[in-house]
Amino acid sequence: MKTSKKKHSICMISDFFFPNMGGVESHIYQLSQCLLELGHKVIVVTHMYGKKRRGIRYLSNDLKVYYLPFPPFYNQCILPTVYVTFPLLRNIFIREEITIVHGHSSFSTLAHEGMLHARTMGIPTVFTDHSLFGFADASSIVTNEILRFSLGDCTHVICVSHTSKENTVLRAQIKPENVSVIPNAVDATMFTPDPSQRTPNKITIVLVSRLVYRKGIDLLAGIIPKITQKYPDVQFLIGGSGPKELILEEVREQYQLHDRVQLRGALEHSKVRDVLVQGDILLNTSLTEAFCIAIVEAACCGLKVVSTNVGGVPEVLPPDLIRLADPSVNALVEALEESIKEIKDGVNVIPPDEIHDRIRKLYTWQNVAKRTEIVYNQISDKNTKNFKQRVQTYNEFGIVAGIVYVLAIAINYLLFMILEWLFPRQEIEKAESCHNHVRKRH
Amino acid sequence: MASKEKWEKVLYKKQNVPDNYVDDSFLRELKKNSNLRRYDYWTTVSQSGSVTQQISSVCIFLMIFIYMDEKQLLPETLFYTTTILTVISYGIYCWLKLPAVENKRTSYDDIKTGVMFLCFLYGLSPVIVSLTETISTDTIYAMTFIMLLTNIVFYDYSPDDIQVARVKGTLSLNAATFASVCLASRLNTTWHAFAIVTFSFEWFALWPLFTQLLKVLYPASQNILTVLLGVTSLILLSTWTTVATIVFLIVHLFINFFCPFWLIRLLPYKNNIKGQWDEAEIQD
Repeated sequence: MKTSKKKHSICMISDFFFPNMGGVESHIYQLSQCLLELGHKVIVVTHMYGKKRRGIRYLSNDLKVYYLPFPPFYNQCILPTVYVTFPLLRNIFIREEITIVHGHSSFSTLAHEGMLHARTMGIPTVFTDHSLFGFADASSIVTNEILRFSLGDCTHVICVSHTSKENTVLRAQIKPENVSVIPNAVDATMFTPDPSQRTPNKITIVLVSRLVYRKGIDLLAGIIPKITQKYPDVQFLIGGSGPKELILEEVREQYQLHDRVQLRGALEHSKVRDVLVQGDILLNTSLTEAFCIAIVEAACCGLKVVSTNVGGVPEVLPPDLIRLADPSVNALVEALEESIKEIKDGVNVIPPDEIHDRIRKLYTWQNVAKRTEIVYNQISDKNTKNFKQRVQTYNEFGIVAGIVYVLAIAINYLLFMILEWLFPRQEIEKAESCHNHVRKRH
Repeated sequence: MASKEKWEKVLYKKQNVPDNYVDDSFLRELKKNSNLRRYDYWTTVSQSGSVTQQISSVCIFLMIFIYMDEKQLLPETLFYTTTILTVISYGIYCWLKLPAVENKRTSYDDIKTGVMFLCFLYGLSPVIVSLTETISTDTIYAMTFIMLLTNIVFYDYSPDDIQVARVKGTLSLNAATFASVCLASRLNTTWHAFAIVTFSFEWFALWPLFTQLLKVLYPASQNILTVLLGVTSLILLSTWTTVATIVFLIVHLFINFFCPFWLIRLLPYKNNIKGQWDEAEIQD
């Protein structure tokens, strides 16, 4: 395996990064850290956050982050201008001698633009899709069309679950062979079990998520009265905030459950574990989920998991750690009752430490990084498409869309040539990497 | 890569295949056009009558306004005729409704609301008649056009439903009321304003309740109503302008006969895909 020794210079590009918190953000951070450990050079490119956080910052292990001076426009994404980001990104790609551009999240404008420019410059691109999308409503039709353009000649795509892969293949109309499935991972050192935190002689059902419709909070509002009325020793602990908080408060009011339904409000990511370990059962009522890291984190803390059978959820945990139910109040109540019965009878109870151990070995960031490395090795061997091949690809996209797309990449190419003439490559100073210094010294 | 074990669509197992492996089962769970409904041509024609009924209603309303504006119709005549018709229809409505649905509202409540409404409107009609007087007639007509269009677009066309209390229905009714208030200021006296606003309420709020009940109880009444309203508005229109009459007729024929045909022709092109990734619908 001589290819595995190949060192890449990877540019992670996405609108979503620290100080913002979320699934995509921590994914980029953790993956970058593990790739750095494997000896690759990694930089992160994102847009500015606030007025102060702009320019270059270094995170742990000298992870270099470029906060580009483009202000966020909508939902933390920059204004889609297609070409305006090109001069700056070209400069960065050349300065840092980037060999692979890795975009994250289909919502991110910056990721799509960065990948477009990278391909024009002949740099291979990888894209990780973190979300699922429908096909029927207007917003998904528009997003899918953008994705089809963006992934049309993307070298390789990574999805977080098999369901997500099917979804992406259909949405972007790409070959399934060019899509790898690499699941998310969990930082097991952050999610350790602690059964002493549980309330003795009581069963606590935990739910930690944003309280929005997509997370199935309406289902939860139907479940709470049914379970609490039947089992006097069961209590609910709910972390998170959002528009649906109100209906939970209503339920609590209506059934007089102030002592048995705790609403903790929004939680910091570091506090999630402290809430999780207080529970016996984690309930996930999501209506759509590409991977569902919440159930992995809970299992990592040694909880029993009850979840709706949607999206990628059934792929994530082995059947003895999770109980799946249809997205209806009755089915979920039934599943919860079975789990409560098991805990009471002491049947099928796996010690939390044992569950933790299994999850710890199952989903590690090191594993994700190794599998991503394989993708990088594969695509760096492939030749990227030249201008003619790209035009041919896009021409097949339909009469109207094809012309628009071809025009878009042609202008991009023209811009590239103008930039090469205005700011010649040789005059751009190469960035010194502190990692090189460290490695040279050793 | 000998397939010793069958590949499973799971992430928690280490399976001896590369990450970009594509199994035969790929996309097998994809469902195409899972809840496809085939339409029968004549049923669709009959159902599309709801749309032309509403267009006819708007047309009749506008013709009544024009008649009053040209002083061919006295407001008193309009008020007394429509009120008597409303009272008669209300009687029939109560008589039909009794076995059909239970409702907490009594006739006493209804009459109280009705009388209160009329009194308030009568008191306010001097205000209404002068409310938009300073706005130019062109603006008024443009606003009326937009509002009546809103009424047609957002009207609740869903069949066999007695409850009209939906957002869509409310928006549509509000638009019609706004249009009637706009038009009222173009008329001369307070009596005129009172009559046209009252008529708009009877016509756009109460009449649909009545026809909806009829449609639920006697589905055949749908076609009779479509023809009746269509012919009435056609006759009223023809007394005023020929061009509008012809356009009206063409629009009616297009919506009632061509659009259903079109829908059925285009149905084979429907390509609706569903799968595990779709946002689950809460079942109960």
